[in-house]
Amino acid sequence: MQDILFLEHIAPLLQHMLVFLGLAYLFTRTPVFTALVNNSLSLPDKAIIYLVFSGFCILGTTLSEPSIQTDDAIANTRAIGAVLGGLLGGPVVGFLVGITGGIHRVFSMSSINDPINYIDIACAVATTFEGLFAGCVHHYLSRKGKTETLFSPRFVGLIAFVVGLGHITIILLFGVYTGNGVEAWNLEKEIGLPMLIANSAGAALIMYMIKEQKRACDELSSSAAAWRIADKTASIIYGRFNQESSKKIADIIQHETRVGAVAITDRNRLLAFAGLGEDHHRPGSLISSDDTFKVIRENKVLFADGINRTYQCQLRKSCELGSALIIPLRDDANNEVVGTIKLYEPKNKLFRNINRKLGENLAHLLSNRILAGHYELQRELRIQDQYKILVTQINPHFLYNTLTTIGHIVGKQPDRARNLLHYLSDYFRKNLETSNDITMLGDELEHVKSYLAIEKARFEDRLQVQIDIPDHLLTQTVPAFTLQPIVENAIKHGTSELLNTGIINITCVEHNDSFTLTVADNAGLYEKTNRNGIGLKIDERIKIRYGDHYGIDIQCEPEQWTRVNIHLPKSKEQA
Amino acid sequence: MIRTMIVDDEPNAREDLEKKISADQAFDIIGACANAFEAIRDINSKHPDVIFLDINMPKISGIEMLSMLDKDNMPRIVFVTAHGEYAIEAFKKNAIDFLLKPVKTDRLNITLSRLKENHQPQPVITEAFPTELKFVPCYQGNRYYLINVKEIIHAYSSPTTGVHLVTGDSDQEFQTNLPLKVFDDNSQLKRCHRQHMINPDYIKYIEKLDNGLGQISTYGNHTIPVSRNFMDNFPSIA
Repeated sequence: MQDILFLEHIAPLLQHMLVFLGLAYLFTRTPVFTALVNNSLSLPDKAIIYLVFSGFCILGTTLSEPSIQTDDAIANTRAIGAVLGGLLGGPVVGFLVGITGGIHRVFSMSSINDPINYIDIACAVATTFEGLFAGCVHHYLSRKGKTETLFSPRFVGLIAFVVGLGHITIILLFGVYTGNGVEAWNLEKEIGLPMLIANSAGAALIMYMIKEQKRACDELSSSAAAWRIADKTASIIYGRFNQESSKKIADIIQHETRVGAVAITDRNRLLAFAGLGEDHHRPGSLISSDDTFKVIRENKVLFADGINRTYQCQLRKSCELGSALIIPLRDDANNEVVGTIKLYEPKNKLFRNINRKLGENLAHLLSNRILAGHYELQRELRIQDQYKILVTQINPHFLYNTLTTIGHIVGKQPDRARNLLHYLSDYFRKNLETSNDITMLGDELEHVKSYLAIEKARFEDRLQVQIDIPDHLLTQTVPAFTLQPIVENAIKHGTSELLNTGIINITCVEHNDSFTLTVADNAGLYEKTNRNGIGLKIDERIKIRYGDHYGIDIQCEPEQWTRVNIHLPKSKEQA
Repeated sequence: MIRTMIVDDEPNAREDLEKKISADQAFDIIGACANAFEAIRDINSKHPDVIFLDINMPKISGIEMLSMLDKDNMPRIVFVTAHGEYAIEAFKKNAIDFLLKPVKTDRLNITLSRLKENHQPQPVITEAFPTELKFVPCYQGNRYYLINVKEIIHAYSSPTTGVHLVTGDSDQEFQTNLPLKVFDDNSQLKRCHRQHMINPDYIKYIEKLDNGLGQISTYGNHTIPVSRNFMDNFPSIA
């Protein structure tokens, strides 16, 4: 008899549970769902939780069927709504959900021919108790900082089971108190066990689903935010890991995550700070928190949630910040911690789980950015190196030859000798002005002209130079020391080897968004196998800077002519 | 008077040196040349006693030029160079005088004094530098060429037009200012006649003619006479 009753009761309860599961699933697909899983609950969040789980309670009552043996008592799944409401929303929400479900229970089951009896009241009280109890569990765990436990299906099942027992006890007590002990006992004998099982399993299953959805949702939104941040910070070169770039990144992260504050440090100093407490967390100051040093030392994420592990600003007692997530920034190239990124929340706000994940993603992102920055830096250093090589490759013979030439003519043509000295000093000044390796074509051409004036004095009639470059191209930018070494080569390895007159033509052809400088000589002595490398270096330097579309190509008709073509992009603002 | 020639490709360097040397009455500047081609021509026609020779010149360096001069009529050479690295080896052997550009008057005067004391040619010069002739400065009309010695099939001298070279490259003929004597001393060419030289690499066969003379046929189907005096150079027919 009992077995049949049990089956008869459990079957519809399981059906209800499935309905709840379905509804709960649908619910998790709505934007309102995030309200459920925020660890820091705002009033609107609580209101939503209240409404949703009150709905579950009411549905649980409405779906239930009258008992077979008793007219009045029914097996129901109301407890699921109350328990989940309490666990997710806290004591107040739990209590409200419970009492809402309870009041509904009282009035839905009573009518004029069926006045309110002790069972109705008992059920209402029990449901309220369930909500309140679960809410208290929420409160207790939150204080302990174990909010994760709230989402554990097993734990929820256990809580549902415990409050189910409480429910039974309350009904029995009411039964005894109102003199209906036997009836109550019979009732619970019939529906107690099925309800316990169905409600525990139902609550656990629904929480399992919520948990899974929450996890997916966290990952989704944290990766979405990470993407937005990655996108916004993409243009910030992080190789130099300095205050300027850090500040930009900290601002973006703080804006996107809406955490209380964001800090970026290197191994010793605060590089940037954005958000609450900007007034006393000054960039450039030494790191004050031992936790940060610990993270740097141990290369491990540290979470001071403000509950188990307190975070207290060392700089100012009144600092609002109460919890911090400190994540090491790794430089994978050198396998070392180069600094930390810190996310803070103020004391009155719980650290959102999503931001913990996001913070770790961000640290990963920035670590990669640092790595990329390293390459960027190395690339720039390579450009600088190439540049320095070109500058220092000024042939000492050139200086020597020039001074010799000046020595030769100083007696005969003193004015010209003086001019040559001026050209020479122009030439060397240009070589000393190494601060910027980009120059205007016009300046580069002046450099070439200084050089040519000197060579002309050496070769006299044996060297003729024609320069034909349209004036409007003179403002184009070119890497410094692009043209001069090529002209020098054309003379040194070209025309100076000629018995007759050497002719050098420097021309420029304009294309849509690029231009080609050509240095042509009439020697035709260029040998591929025996190139002296300076053209190669300039070519490489141009390619590093502008890409493979640009650079140098060389044409040669042996004994007739050599043409060195330098392809360069037009400056952006002029293209 | 010491007949002096200056060879330097830089006009101002030439003028400067010329002016400084002329200050010494013992020296007579008989010519100034801008490259080795001109220099060889003038040396063979003017026979200077002393040459102030720049090393770094187009096509043929001053050192290479040495191998193109007749050892037996070698003028005294004073190298004038901006590039001290050339000087090291020669200074060690004390073979030759070096002036570093820019030439200082005091240093030049030491050189000029030495030259005044000793007019003799410099026999040791070949020890300081390798003298194998690799390239021959030539001309065709107004154009200058450098011909690889290996490409020369045949060289001959004409009393009126000087030395001619026939190369394997489609039978081209060039003229050169180098005397045949230089090829004798410094190249693989062999003398087969007072006026003819042959590159042994191109000999197809040699035959002895009835009159006691010989004749060489080349792969280019030229025939070149072999005189009695030089028959010994070709043991296969001697």
